[in-house]
Amino acid sequence: MTDIAVVLLLVGIAIFVSWRFRLALEKDFVVASVRAIVQLGVVALVISLVFENLALSVAFVVVMLSVAAFTSSRRLRGVPRAGIIATGAIGAGAVATLAVIFGGRVLDLEPPFIIPIAGMAIGNCMAAVSVAGVRVREEISDKNLEVEARLALGVSAHKALEPYVRRAATVSLIPIIDTTKTVGLVTLPGAFTGMLLGGATPYEAARVQLIVLFMLMGSIAIAGMATAALVTRAFVAEGERIVVPAAR
Amino acid sequence: MTHVVRPCRIDIEGLDLDRGGRPVLRAVDVSFRPGIVTAVVGPSGAGKTSLLRCMNRLEEPGSGRVLIDGTDARELRPTDLRRRVGMIFQTPVLFEGGVRANLSYGLDHLDGSSLEDALEAAALPASFLERESSALSVGQAQRVCIARALVRSPQALLMDEPTSALDKDASARVESLIRSLGERGLTVIVVTHDLGEAKRVASEAVLVVDGRVAATGSPEEIEDSWPEEAG
Repeated sequence: MTDIAVVLLLVGIAIFVSWRFRLALEKDFVVASVRAIVQLGVVALVISLVFENLALSVAFVVVMLSVAAFTSSRRLRGVPRAGIIATGAIGAGAVATLAVIFGGRVLDLEPPFIIPIAGMAIGNCMAAVSVAGVRVREEISDKNLEVEARLALGVSAHKALEPYVRRAATVSLIPIIDTTKTVGLVTLPGAFTGMLLGGATPYEAARVQLIVLFMLMGSIAIAGMATAALVTRAFVAEGERIVVPAAR
Repeated sequence: MTHVVRPCRIDIEGLDLDRGGRPVLRAVDVSFRPGIVTAVVGPSGAGKTSLLRCMNRLEEPGSGRVLIDGTDARELRPTDLRRRVGMIFQTPVLFEGGVRANLSYGLDHLDGSSLEDALEAAALPASFLERESSALSVGQAQRVCIARALVRSPQALLMDEPTSALDKDASARVESLIRSLGERGLTVIVVTHDLGEAKRVASEAVLVVDGRVAATGSPEEIEDSWPEEAG
């Protein structure tokens, strides 16, 4: 615990900078730090219990998925059936990649692997779902006139919305593509750094990091595309019409 | 002109439309004869645009029906209906890409001459095919939108205040184009709040006030029924 106390000195510096430059973020720094300590402490406690039991670890993954779906669905306010869409898209991305990782015996199907891998997949899928869903909603709302001009030319609603779906899905995928392109050049990513700090060799750390990056590319692509397609469908009404999203 | 197939007749029967609990159209009964230009006129907010949007199902009425040559519009596939009954919006909307891409949007089989014919019918030279959409003036963009609708060989063309976003010269050119479409036998229904424009482009007119049809006849005949408070 002494080491954490030492590192907290850096938070003290951040608070001092905020006070000195009148950023008014002192309270936020304190709240964020306390929350991080409490949340990670609780998670460490729970995970230490869950690591002993496969059924408990699966239940833990379900809880992670539920929280992620709830969080994303709140971002998708105004989208019909937002909860179902978020659960389906995050679930599809996570399940598909977990099936490859554990079905393909890339990693052993054991709690110490299931929890972190599922956590990374679900967390990144959640971000992709929120970004793609919000983008589709905004595109349909902002470009309503353009969408109707397309519909008026006698194309299906699916075809009329195609450019916006594509744009939204692309936006959700760009971060992971850029991260993968620049890995090792701009930043040392989390899994790599964590393994090095944990005493693994650089080769072993690189191997695990590549597994994580490729897994994330796949899961985010599935979740982002699924979200864009499902949110789009939610705004299509009978008669090849578009229901304009309500004001946010 | 190759773009006018047999023009269609459009009949509206007992059309009611509410939006947000507020009545927009009430018991609208009106017919649009084939092959002529009819103006739908009335003060702002009278329900003219909503009436137009019901004709190609961009909006669904609460009750009543729209008949295209005697067939209920709901019995037609929406995509087929909208190819038969084209629509031009108040603000011209061109998609990304050039004029050629805009004209052929959503169409699988088209030859170059169809595109050139459509441009010609919209009073634009064939050289416009190679122009970028972003390089066009608003007036040119509106005429490209008209060409884009014509290339689908519609039986009727719905035009929602097609000159309201244009300057005087561009408006005059579009009005002239509307007259020529009528002369060539296309069913054209033009929404306008400007009775003067209705007189210049249309041979028949429908006056809509507070969501109801207040008068029908020639643009000159309905002038007496124009509500004084609307100016």
